[in-house]
Amino acid sequence: MKKSRSVGASSSLNGLGKQDGESRRKRKMAEITQALSVSPADVPALRRMAISEGGLLTDEIRRQVWPRLLNVSVDNIPEQLETVDRDNNKDFNQVLLDVQRSLRRFPPGMPDEQREGLQEELTDIILRVLVKNPQLHYYQGYHDIVVTFLLVLGERLATALVEKLSTHHLRDFMDPTMDNTKHILNYLMPIIERVNPEVYDFMQQAEVGTIFALSWLITWFGHVLSDFRHVVRLYDFFLACHPLMPIYFAAVIVLHREEEVLDCECDMAMMHHLLSRIPQDLPYETLISRAGDLFVQFPPSELARERSQQTAVSTFKDFELASTQQRPDTVLRQRRMEQQKRTMEAQRSTVAVVQSTGRRFMRLAVMGLTVALGAAALAVVNSALEWAPKLDLLFP
Amino acid sequence: MKLEEDSMADIESSFEFSSSLTSSSLPPPRTRIFKIIVIGDSGVGKTCLTYRFCAGKFPDRTEATIGVDFREKIIEIDGEKIKVQLWDTAGQERFRKSMVQHYYRNVHAVVFVYDVTNAVSFRSLPSWIEECRQHALGQEVPRILVGNKCDLRHAAQVSTDVAQQFADAHSMPLFETSAKNPYGNDDGSRNDSDHVEAIFMTVAHKLKSQKPLILSQPPCGLGDTVTLRRQDEEERGSWGCGCWRS
Ligand SMILES: Nc1nc2c(ncn2[C@@H]2O[C@H](COP(=O)(O)OP(=O)(O)O)[C@@H](O)[C@H]2O)c(=O)[nH]1
Ligand SMILES: [Mg+2]
Repeated sequence: MKKSRSVGASSSLNGLGKQDGESRRKRKMAEITQALSVSPADVPALRRMAISEGGLLTDEIRRQVWPRLLNVSVDNIPEQLETVDRDNNKDFNQVLLDVQRSLRRFPPGMPDEQREGLQEELTDIILRVLVKNPQLHYYQGYHDIVVTFLLVLGERLATALVEKLSTHHLRDFMDPTMDNTKHILNYLMPIIERVNPEVYDFMQQAEVGTIFALSWLITWFGHVLSDFRHVVRLYDFFLACHPLMPIYFAAVIVLHREEEVLDCECDMAMMHHLLSRIPQDLPYETLISRAGDLFVQFPPSELARERSQQTAVSTFKDFELASTQQRPDTVLRQRRMEQQKRTMEAQRSTVAVVQSTGRRFMRLAVMGLTVALGAAALAVVNSALEWAPKLDLLFP
Repeated sequence: MKLEEDSMADIESSFEFSSSLTSSSLPPPRTRIFKIIVIGDSGVGKTCLTYRFCAGKFPDRTEATIGVDFREKIIEIDGEKIKVQLWDTAGQERFRKSMVQHYYRNVHAVVFVYDVTNAVSFRSLPSWIEECRQHALGQEVPRILVGNKCDLRHAAQVSTDVAQQFADAHSMPLFETSAKNPYGNDDGSRNDSDHVEAIFMTVAHKLKSQKPLILSQPPCGLGDTVTLRRQDEEERGSWGCGCWRS
């Protein structure tokens, strides 16, 4: 329904000085090429690139890096995609209805014929993944995610990546019910509370709920952002991070709009209306690093513990599974973790503590996150050894 | 009849947020709010109908509604300005159980929508009625039944007779209309009145006539019980801490 499309509005997404920006961009391209050229590819470096300013820069790079971030081996994707039996598919009607209504997701100038062809492919990808994974259930908004992959990767690659994503990052949204999705939404207010109690109180008073953020979460903002470049930039970020990162990003958007929120009538309807309409000119790079910052300061496990909330169990399990299975450096990491464990068990010496915190601090510094990392977070990073597992999840 | 309209989405500027919550000494004249929830299967045209009423036109494109969308319009009945809030909900079943509940609170009226060209959407109505029942909406809450897409007469699968019987059985008025062409003219020309607008206005009139009894739920409303309150209690009670002036 949002008709305003700010296509071609901003030429420089990052707001960098032109020259400075250009040389940084070149350097980043070179780094990405380097990380891709080694065997096995340097996935941690790619992850870093996807998070740091500007993300993965071009769709061409995304085609190479996104599979790595999801650990999909491109060579193993069958050339021939399975045909889809639309007639006997329980989800077909709903998928068709949503895909037909997804015109806004396609580039504005695209000829109808080409768009219709892509819509057919979109339907097929969705049905193919659902048929192959009967435990997954279609939700309205899933198509907004899949279309992004289709437009960047083409049908064949998109099918493989969407399947992986659906069994990992999106797994909770695809349960038979949306209970787990609701649990994930329940992380939103505690994050806001930590950062800005005033905004939190005001929102609580208005009883606005969290449904305004539902479409953000389950479409990775694909449903609400008009500029495709912003969408793919966010996807770079989310693909490189913990599955709960979109909820941190949602919190960051609300916090960014603090003034508007506090000026809003303290009423559920008004506030829902205000919040559910995202400004299209958000400072994405700043917000991305702030979301990373918040994730480090208030990791999900902590929020879950203190709020004694039911956590989205499958997300955690799956992601841990994914990150251990997938890394080419799994063995190394395991050894390192075992070492850490042993050190801890053996009443770790001061030296050991210093060493491991130092390493984590380094890692954060490398991520570029320290730019935005507040003093408080740094203090925590420097003192809390128990963070190791969480940071490993974020930056395996 | 129509004083202002808000065409949602991009026209945020048409919303004026009261910024003088604390500064005014006299209590401002209140605008009453009628909150109406619109439900029915996915694709029957809920988004188009609510858009038609609030923006006065058929949207060029709609998208799947994810969760709940909110639209509103200020109307005037007998000299009183009334804010009509429409809650446009997602049709897909999975959203309803855990997601939409919140929006049933304080609902004053319910609009059930089916698509006259889609028999399945008509057969789903009992489950939508059941959903309302589960949210403890009492019989006092006005309900209406809307058969949409009447511009596609040739493709109709649900006859007026059958729909009327159903509506009678559930004591609801039935309206057949089209969000696309609510004037009933084949060319869509506007020499007749807008039927969609008339439907929502009917609901608003009905609600206004219920005064002084306005249905509402407790303000802190986590409970599911519905209580009938007098209008003066309502004034103090349930519309949040702010005030709205139009
Ligand atoms: N011909 C016709 N099409 C309609 C009418 N109302 C809605 N539609 C179409 O039906 C589809 C679904 O409409 P939408 O409002 O999104 O349905 P919702 O899922 O109930 O919100 C869209 O393609 C609309 O263009 C109508 O009155 N006549
Ligand atoms: Mg809709």
